[in-house]
Amino acid sequence: MPTGEFLGFLHLTWQATIMLVISGVLMWLGISKKMEPYLLVPIGAGCMLANIPLGGIAESGGLLAVLREVGIKTEIFPLLIFVAVGAMIDFEPFLQRPYTIFIGGAAQFGIFATFFLAYLLGDGWLHVLNFTLQDAAAIGTIGSADGPTTIYVASVLQTKYIAAIVVAAYSYMALVPIIQPPIIKALCSKEERAVKMPVVVGGTPQRTKILFPIITTLLVGLICPKATPLIGCLMFGNLLRECGVVESLSQAAQNELSNIITILLGLTVGGMMSGTEFLKPETVLVFVLGVVAFALDTVAGVLVGKLIYVLSGKKVNPMIGACGISAFPMSSRVVQKLGLEANPYNHLLMHALGANTAGQIASVVAGGAMLLLVSGIH
Amino acid sequence: MLIALWIVVTRMLIIFAVLGVLFLAIVLLNKLVGLKPKEEKGDKE
Repeated sequence: MPTGEFLGFLHLTWQATIMLVISGVLMWLGISKKMEPYLLVPIGAGCMLANIPLGGIAESGGLLAVLREVGIKTEIFPLLIFVAVGAMIDFEPFLQRPYTIFIGGAAQFGIFATFFLAYLLGDGWLHVLNFTLQDAAAIGTIGSADGPTTIYVASVLQTKYIAAIVVAAYSYMALVPIIQPPIIKALCSKEERAVKMPVVVGGTPQRTKILFPIITTLLVGLICPKATPLIGCLMFGNLLRECGVVESLSQAAQNELSNIITILLGLTVGGMMSGTEFLKPETVLVFVLGVVAFALDTVAGVLVGKLIYVLSGKKVNPMIGACGISAFPMSSRVVQKLGLEANPYNHLLMHALGANTAGQIASVVAGGAMLLLVSGIH
Repeated sequence: MLIALWIVVTRMLIIFAVLGVLFLAIVLLNKLVGLKPKEEKGDKE
């Protein structure tokens, strides 16, 4: 029997070996450290499968290659995930505090600052790395702090760094509790962090909750059409949740759809991490730029939070600005924790969730705006 | 480089334009449909 067909370890390259180690680390982080296990376990498994020599699972015709074709290149997986996300999110904290939409808008600044930086390092000026305008735009979108938006934009822009971008986006989401607190503490004094916000008593009428996804889809779609697939799927999921007459569909979106697409998406992303594609200097820079994007998002969000703090007569805690990034609900938990540290009676969670869900909408609009202008220029 | 700068500025403007319209729509929606009786008060210490 020819050894080339059964002794796979003889064909292990150094790149594949490193990727197998990385796959082990990803699975260890997910299983032992419980860091984003729903993502890191399938991604780690996909990465392992893709780097076993001669297996062919990530090569043309193989399972992971087929999933990449039908799920990522067609943008179907991120859009279906958005249906599930929309069905899971309660936008009431945002509807009670519509001003938080501006926090969400400001917290998208990291996307564009990082895009600018990546483009300057690439084709825009320094030519240190091979980053085109489209690559830079896709890298910047890591700052949306929103996995499906990042995958969608990176797929549409057909960047060659999609694997690194997607892995960076999901990794940093898990690292929000590490990235954000030092920035918030540096920008907000203890007195500011201790500001208590008034509790809003009373709920939003169901009619408002039902009209909200419809109006949002129409407005965002008509003004920024490139965002229609993203906002449309997100709001469709939310309509299923809120309309009250399709409970089984809402539950299916929140559970079965979400779980199935998470498995397929995770495996597919992991399958894109083949050693020869992934182990490049650009990958390291993509990860560095991803941290920059998250940090700048947080800075911009908190600065707008401080502006609102001043304009409101010190009634709004500026820390909720950090929740304008879309990382839902991790950044809300971070702000709640910091608020309690500064004042044991300071419960900011619902206010933070308002900014956080506003950030979800803003990140989708930012993704659409990115596609609109890049496609307009090229 | 100027193209990138142009993209950054125009994109942020587009985002705030879209979100500004959405903000007005939600405020209007809250006014038309009305929030359930709402009362604001501080946390009890």
